Amino acid sequence: MNVKVDDAGERPLIALAMGDPAGISPELAARLIASPRVAAAARLVVIGDRRILEGGAKAAGLMLGIATVESGVIGPAASPVLIDLRNLDPAAVTVGEATLTGGTFAVENFSYALRLAEAGQVAAVCYTPLNKKAMRFAHPGYDDESRFIQELLQLTGRIKEFNVLDTVWNARVTSHIPLKDVAGQLSREAILAEIRLTVDCLKQSGVEAPRLLVAGLNPHAGDGGSFGMEEIDIIGPAVNAAVADGFDVSGPLPADTVFLTALRDGYHAVLTMYHDQGQIAMKLIGFDRGVTMLGGLPFPVCTPAHGTAYDIAGEGIANPLASEEAVLLAARMATAAHNRGGSA
Amino acid sequence: MRNRAPLALTVGDPSGIGPEIAIDAWRRRKEFALPAFYLLADPDLIESRAGSSSLQIALVAPEEAEARFSDALPLVPLAARLIDKCGIPDRANAAGIIESIDRAVEDTLSGRAGAVVTCPIAKKPLYDAGFRFPGHTEYLAHLAERHGHAAAMPVMMLAGPDLRAVPVTIHIALAEVPKALTTELIVRTAAITANDLRGRFGIAKPRLAISGLNPHAGEGGAMGREDLDIILPAVLALQRQGIDAFGPLPADTMFHPRARATYDAALCMYHDQALIPAKALAFDETVNVTLGLPFIRTSPDHGTAFDIAGKGVARCGSLVAALKLARQLADNEVTTA
Repeated sequence: MNVKVDDAGERPLIALAMGDPAGISPELAARLIASPRVAAAARLVVIGDRRILEGGAKAAGLMLGIATVESGVIGPAASPVLIDLRNLDPAAVTVGEATLTGGTFAVENFSYALRLAEAGQVAAVCYTPLNKKAMRFAHPGYDDESRFIQELLQLTGRIKEFNVLDTVWNARVTSHIPLKDVAGQLSREAILAEIRLTVDCLKQSGVEAPRLLVAGLNPHAGDGGSFGMEEIDIIGPAVNAAVADGFDVSGPLPADTVFLTALRDGYHAVLTMYHDQGQIAMKLIGFDRGVTMLGGLPFPVCTPAHGTAYDIAGEGIANPLASEEAVLLAARMATAAHNRGGSA
Repeated sequence: MRNRAPLALTVGDPSGIGPEIAIDAWRRRKEFALPAFYLLADPDLIESRAGSSSLQIALVAPEEAEARFSDALPLVPLAARLIDKCGIPDRANAAGIIESIDRAVEDTLSGRAGAVVTCPIAKKPLYDAGFRFPGHTEYLAHLAERHGHAAAMPVMMLAGPDLRAVPVTIHIALAEVPKALTTELIVRTAAITANDLRGRFGIAKPRLAISGLNPHAGEGGAMGREDLDIILPAVLALQRQGIDAFGPLPADTMFHPRARATYDAALCMYHDQALIPAKALAFDETVNVTLGLPFIRTSPDHGTAFDIAGKGVARCGSLVAALKLARQLADNEVTTA
C-alpha cells in the first residue's frame, strides 16, 4: 500500500480526528490547522464538524482558514482540508462535562479517520484528546484506544502504546495493573518481546539503529541483590539475551536516573517495568509536549499525552505543543514508511 | 543559642569523593556564600587529597571554626587515622569514618555545632569492620538514643528547590512495598514530616500531598485496593489530627508545577516514586534531610562515587546545597524554639 502524500509528493496526508468537544480539543484542532510547524511537515485532513471547529478557532483567537471537501475526495490542494461530518450542533455541547453527545462525536470522527487510513487515503491518524467516560457512554465496553482500533479494524496483532518525549520513547512491560502484581508479571520473555517490539516501531519511525535503555525494578536497580532479585534473575538476563540477538540495549539501570541518562546520551527509548516508573519522569520532564503513539498498527496513530483539560475549556489558553508534536511524529513515521516504499 | 554554632561536616568514606567535594566547597565558599563549617577528618588525608594546589588548613576546635572559615578550611582532627587510598575502600578506615559521624552528632547535641552534614559512606568497608547498621540514617537514630533521647523514627526527605519528597518505604524490594505499607506507618511518617516542616522549615501550616500506590491511584479500586484500604484512611486520620493532608493522588500527575504549588511536601509510597521526580527536577541540588531526629542532619543526595574519586570531576553542588539547607534549618529552629 502506498501512503498518500500531497501533490508535491513531500508531505504526508494526516487525518486529524476532532476529539471530545467539551474540553480543549476544538481549540487544539484550530491551532493545529494554523500551525506553521504542522504545515511544514504534513497536510491535515480534519474530521469533525465545522461549527465546532469554528468555536475552537474563536476560543483560540484565530481565523479559520480551511476548505471543506466532500467525503472521500480529498483532492490535491496543498492546504489543510476539512471533512465536515455535520455531526454536532454547538448548542448540544455541555462544556466541561463528559456526555453521550460528546462521546458520540469523538467516536464518529475517530472511526472515520481510522477508516480513511485503512483505505490508504491518509498516511496516519492523529486525534485531539478523548474523554474515557464520554467514550464509554457512546461506545459501551470501550476500554482504551488500542482496543477500540483493534475491534474497529478487526486487527489481530498486538498494539503497543508508547509515550514519546522529544526523541525519547518510553515503553512499559506492565501497565494498568496493581503495583503488587508487577514483579510477578515480569519475565525474561515479556521483557525481550517488549525490546523487540520497541526496536521494530522505532525502525518504522525512521530510526535506523535504535539504542535502548532498560530500567530496573527496585531501588538503585536492586543494588546487587540487596533490595530485590528481579534485576539479577529476570531483567539482566533479558537484556543479555537481547544483546546476544544483536540489539543495542543496556541495563538494568536505576529508575531515578534512567531518563536523564537517555536524554543526555541520545538513547532512543527507555523500557520501564511499571506504569508510574515511566509516567512520572515523562510527564515531569515534558508535561507540555509528551505524545502517545500506538505502535504495531498498519499506520501510525498519535495523540497528545495530556487529557481533555475540562477546567480550561474554551479559554483559549491550551498549549498546542504536545498536539503539534503528535502530528510531527506521525508525519516522520509516515514519511519513513513512504521512503521505504511500504506501509508503516 | 546553640544553633548559631558552625556546621559539623563528616568526611564520609575517604576513598570516595567526600574529601574532595568538602575541599572544593570550601575553596568556592565566597561564590556560594557558604555558611561556616568544620570538617571532621584526618589532616594528613585532607592535605594529600588537596593535591598540588595549596590548601590552607586550620586545625581548630568547633568554637574557632567560624572565625577561621574565611581564610582556612577549619578542620577538627580525628583520633583515628585515615589512609588515603583513592577509589579503593578499606575497612581500616571504618574507625575514622564512624568517629567522624559520632563526633559530629555529639558536637551538635552539645551545642558546639549547629547541625550535622554528612558526606557519603559505603556499607561494605564498614560491614567488613563489624558495623551492624543498615545505613547512615539508622546509625544516627541509634546515636540519638545513645545520647539519652527517646527512640526516634528517622524519616528521609529529599529537598530540592522545587520539591520536597518523603518516601514512606525506602530501601526494600518493590514487591515488598505493598506489604510494608500500613496506615499507621503513613500517619507516623506524615506527622513527623509535618512537625519538622513547622519547627525546622518554618512553615506554619504545612500542606502534605499523599501519593497513591497504584497507577492512577488505583482508579477507584480498579487497579489495586491499597489506595482505598490503606492510604485513604491514613489521609483521613491525619486530617482528624489537624494536619492539612490530601490524597491519595495519582503519582504521575502530582509533580507538575501547578500541582506542586498546592503542597509543601509530597509523601510518596516507595523509593523511586520520590526519587524519580526529585532527580528529574533538580539532579545536582537535591539534598537528603533526615527528619524526626533530635538534631538536624542533611547530606548530599549521591553516593561515594569511588569510580571518579580523585579524578577532579566530582561536583560539589549537592554538598553545597546540603550545607546551605542545614544552616537554614538550624536558624529556623532557633527562631521557632
